[in-house]
Amino acid sequence: MSAADRGAWRLVAVRDFWVRLRERSFLISTLLNVAVISVLVLARASGGLGGAPSFDLGVVGGPDELAIANAAAARAHDASISMQVEPFETAADAEAALRGGSVDAVLSPGQLAGMHGIDATLIALVQTSAHAAAVDAVFQQHHVPQAQREAASNDAPLDVGVLDPPPPHRDDNAAIAFIGVLLLYGQLFGYGLWVATGVIEEKSSRIVEMLLSAIRPRQLLAGKILGIGVLGLCQLLAIAGFAIGLGTATGAIEVPGTAIGAAALDIGWFILGYAFYASLFAAAGSLVTRIEELQNVIVPINLTILVSFIISVGSLQDPNSTIAVVASILPVSAALAMPVRMVLGAAPGWQIALSLTLLIGSAIALVPIGARLYEGAVLRTGSRVKLRDAWRAA
Amino acid sequence: MLSYPCPTVLELIDLRRRFGDTVALDGVSFEVPEGRIVGFVGRNGAGKTTAMRIALGVLQADEGTVRWRGAAVDTATRRRFGYMPEERGLYPKMRVVEQLVYLARLRGTPKEAARARAEELLTTLDVVGDPNARVESLSLGNQQRVQLAAALVHRPELLVLDEPFSGLDPVGVDVLSAVLRRAATEQGAAVVFSSHQLDLVERLCDEVVLIDHGRVAAHGTIRELRASRARNLWRVEVRGANDGWWQVVPGAVAVESGDGVVMLELNDGVDPQRVLDVARSGGDVVGFGPVQPSLGELFREVVA
Repeated sequence: MSAADRGAWRLVAVRDFWVRLRERSFLISTLLNVAVISVLVLARASGGLGGAPSFDLGVVGGPDELAIANAAAARAHDASISMQVEPFETAADAEAALRGGSVDAVLSPGQLAGMHGIDATLIALVQTSAHAAAVDAVFQQHHVPQAQREAASNDAPLDVGVLDPPPPHRDDNAAIAFIGVLLLYGQLFGYGLWVATGVIEEKSSRIVEMLLSAIRPRQLLAGKILGIGVLGLCQLLAIAGFAIGLGTATGAIEVPGTAIGAAALDIGWFILGYAFYASLFAAAGSLVTRIEELQNVIVPINLTILVSFIISVGSLQDPNSTIAVVASILPVSAALAMPVRMVLGAAPGWQIALSLTLLIGSAIALVPIGARLYEGAVLRTGSRVKLRDAWRAA
Repeated sequence: MLSYPCPTVLELIDLRRRFGDTVALDGVSFEVPEGRIVGFVGRNGAGKTTAMRIALGVLQADEGTVRWRGAAVDTATRRRFGYMPEERGLYPKMRVVEQLVYLARLRGTPKEAARARAEELLTTLDVVGDPNARVESLSLGNQQRVQLAAALVHRPELLVLDEPFSGLDPVGVDVLSAVLRRAATEQGAAVVFSSHQLDLVERLCDEVVLIDHGRVAAHGTIRELRASRARNLWRVEVRGANDGWWQVVPGAVAVESGDGVVMLELNDGVDPQRVLDVARSGGDVVGFGPVQPSLGELFREVVA
């Protein structure tokens, strides 16, 4: 490839980058992404999405009840659970608060009342504190020295351990993996679609013949895929930065390092997935002349990406299920399924290596196939070009 | 054939191309000299567009080659060609000047030079409207002029224009004719354009290539075509003569007659003066002279 040829695809890439950047749909997709991320991150920050639980406990009664409630809050704090204690003057006030939803449960002498039900953790915390208070009262009656009383009620008598501990911050990781796969799905599908519509635009406006009298079809295709891909990458970087910033600021993400690592992973897999799908989208676009016909030719690609996305979301629950493992290794779905498993720490090294090898290999193999179909079809306007004809014409 | 003072730059050599069962080009060969305007004529579907697309490398020939200044055409060479396709095409939403600069830069013209040239062309071609307007907002006539500017903006050495005059008003035709003339004479560009407006081709072109059923049916200057193709036709207008007065001259055949006017085709060796003498003896001769067939007539004769 001569220097002049390189210049040509660069010009195409730069034009496509700026044209798409200025398009209304780019602005809309950016805002939409920011909105979805904000909702997810803020929901998580307020504990709505499986984050650390947070309780509001109402108290009615004397100093004993308040002491039990405060002891429960202290226990909660030790377990990284936030608990606010709210004393009420009368049982009626407390009931109103319970009905209004400003407290999760009300502790009154000898009773813990909830609205529809009470979180098991909250029950356990309050029960334990109440039990400890009762035991302490008995000890006090028998004049057990203060130091012994405290020693008896303080530490948990059991060391808790598990055989197969989940990776640390499992919840955090699942949330990050979910946001990541959602973004990846949007980017792969959206930017692939842009490649296809870009090809159709040039075909339907007939400028493609002008362009192809100046540069080779492959340069035009390469420039278009690169320009749009770089824009997709920039948008992904910006959104990931926004998500991590917002998540850290609101406390939704406890360990920013994990989120940054996950974002880097997603960006890497976006590049690979885009490389895999983009030439297919371009080839599909070159088969038709009008935007309205696009739907007919990209259904197979759409479905593939959609099914990969659904499997990937499913694998958040069980990242080592057979279907999750297979999907993360097959090139058609790896770009969505593998990053989820990697963020969850569920993918062994050999699977990652195999998946990468297959995806990179097939992306490299697909580029010339897509380019050939594109070359064979892009100058044929009018009715939809058959795949076989496009292949033969090139 | 005359020998041309201008060196040949573009050679099409035995181009063949099929589309399925249709033979579009069946061995097309011709040459285009530097600084000349060559008219490319033929019926619809004769193979003009296919030949032009192959010359530009937009389409591949099944067989045959295209050479530029004696060498095979590669990407670098093609950047010096300018093209106006039959299917007009520009980015509808791109601004006029931006678009011209982009297309010039794709062909290797530096950015600043491209901008200066684009602005100059918009003036020369009399494109009405804001150069920063989007292409889609221009009238069709103006879009056509911008399309022509897109073919010229990088100062090509070869200009290939597919039906450049279709859709232009008479003023537009004059402007375009002048621009093509100037490109040929001042910049030494070789110009090939196809057209169905044969009077225009006759007026503008140094040479004509007539293509029929995928083959070159005739090629030469208008004069050469006449000399090689034209019949020896004489138009005689006589008042008061009997119908069929010419029948006494052996070798004179009426091609058409009526209303005192007759078109006679004279066989070799028949002296036109003999015809005139006979005519004068029959009545008052009002008109007498040889008929130069127009390109249109030659065209019909060849493709008939």
